[in-house]
Amino acid sequence: MISEVIKKTEIGEDPNYFSVPGGHLYTVLHEAENPVARVLLVGSFAAERHFSYQGWVRWARYLAARQIEVLRYDYRGVGESSGVFEEMTFDHWTEDVQLLAGWLSSRSPRLPLLLHGLEVGAILAGKCFDQGVGDGLLMWSPPVSANHALRAGLLQWASVKQLLESPENRTSAAKYIQQLLQGAIIDVQGYQWSGDLWRASIDFKLPSSLEDESIASVAYKRPVSIVKLGKNASPLVPPFRGYLENPNLSWLYDENFQRIASMVAIVTKDAND
Amino acid sequence: MINEIETREVIVFKANDGVVRGTHHKAYDHNRGSVANLFERSRVGVLFLNSLSPTRAAAGDTAVFWADSFAKQGYPSFRVDPPGFGDSDGEPPPDLLGFVNSGGYASSDSFVINELTRRFNLSGVVIAGLCAGAVSAIYAAAASRESVGLVLLDPYFQVPIATGPTGRPSIARRIFNRISRGALGNLIAIVGERMRALRMWFSGPNLPANTNFPLVAAFRSLASRGFPILVLNAPFTQRQTGQFDYPTYLQRVVGPKNRIVIQTVEGTGHSFSNPKGRATVRETTEIWLKACFPQNDLKAEEVTSQSQVRNGTTTLHASPTAAAFQRMR
Repeated sequence: MISEVIKKTEIGEDPNYFSVPGGHLYTVLHEAENPVARVLLVGSFAAERHFSYQGWVRWARYLAARQIEVLRYDYRGVGESSGVFEEMTFDHWTEDVQLLAGWLSSRSPRLPLLLHGLEVGAILAGKCFDQGVGDGLLMWSPPVSANHALRAGLLQWASVKQLLESPENRTSAAKYIQQLLQGAIIDVQGYQWSGDLWRASIDFKLPSSLEDESIASVAYKRPVSIVKLGKNASPLVPPFRGYLENPNLSWLYDENFQRIASMVAIVTKDAND
Repeated sequence: MINEIETREVIVFKANDGVVRGTHHKAYDHNRGSVANLFERSRVGVLFLNSLSPTRAAAGDTAVFWADSFAKQGYPSFRVDPPGFGDSDGEPPPDLLGFVNSGGYASSDSFVINELTRRFNLSGVVIAGLCAGAVSAIYAAAASRESVGLVLLDPYFQVPIATGPTGRPSIARRIFNRISRGALGNLIAIVGERMRALRMWFSGPNLPANTNFPLVAAFRSLASRGFPILVLNAPFTQRQTGQFDYPTYLQRVVGPKNRIVIQTVEGTGHSFSNPKGRATVRETTEIWLKACFPQNDLKAEEVTSQSQVRNGTTTLHASPTAAAFQRMR
């Protein structure tokens, strides 16, 4: 083995910490040669980060190799970011997107900035886009509300517990939901979900103007693309099969790179006009 | 954007397999009341190895929690993504489990340990791992001169049942499975159990056929040298895979020289990620670290005792006392 201390910028992927109120976000900037656009990747929620991580990192690398500079990050209180998960709210996570988008758009030279979210990340990206952040928006599998995503995660967790836990430790998903509605804190895959988080997730949804991409593109006068991912996009989405095996998702990356290229072309043309 | 904050920093190595990325949790010096200066006095560090986890944070970010906790107690702690995972370069091996079970990560782990020791002026490295990470930890400890101790969470010492070339169980195994499901199978199983019990009564247990013998040999070699090893098991996992109790067997065969401590962490699952599991692992390991690798931070000792009283998490019957660990030294 050859050991060598290297500058992170030499290798094109720059892991760092970004200061936010009360903590730091872990970020990785995937730099591109002669970039034509920038994308802020807003990943999936809490425990799902764990399973979708490999596919998400590879997507960032795929884009960076095609002249798209990418910034990905961990939510406040999750993964490598500082903070305590159970103290965080959707407001904190929305603020994360706003601050990072602000930083990315301030980079030189000025380039089109696209927001790209996955599942709950799609809602976060969409809400910021609705507030005027970003030149384009790509959403992968946005749930009807954050609660739909949380509920799916909870169902999966409860079924895993049925298999792995001793009979005395088994609890049904319905019982968990009941406990949350009564304000209890429950453990879901190592994250402490509170009743407040559960209740807030019910109302945390996309603005109605972003539910249809053609209507949204006209309404916002900025390109919007919505893609529903199927099971063949696992492990980016449930059932998270093959999350350790690095399944070949190049078909998904190719297809969505075309979407991004089209969005960049529209934004660039509009800017020139 | 900054590459370090008060308590953590990003670390990057360039190895033959590509760029390896990780996190350093800075040790706290309770005498100074600030982050420790590692070059003033060398310390024992703790390195977390990935289990079958895509990221160095591990399930429920438990590795982050433990690394933060140990650093606060004065032990610089490190988490690194192996090649092909998390933020590191490369591709995962095609047969990941087979690769882990045969010690495939030993050389890259050993490289990381060597690099950390040099870069952070460590006097040694305790390697911690869960499940497959524990298997890698044993191989890495055997391969590295800088390793000084092991923390193994739910380690396993058996390999999967032999499969045929197509990935299906071998013909012999399929015939055995078919028979074992019937009444004849039950009868054979009962007779077999009785025979095994009788044989063990006379001669002590033999290792099962599906034992990972190179792993057991590596563990035994370390234990024979008086290498400090803490084994923490989750109760239900133990029941499921508990046909043979390898740690206890190894403790017995190594004899009085062994410094193996085995604890069961009640009220948790295999990932130890629920509040009880993560707290007990933290607490037990901190006490063990202080007994085996004291950092001479007196105030840290005080803080630990106070927090134990305050948190009330020492009620678990499995938790050892510092005195028990001290007697091992």
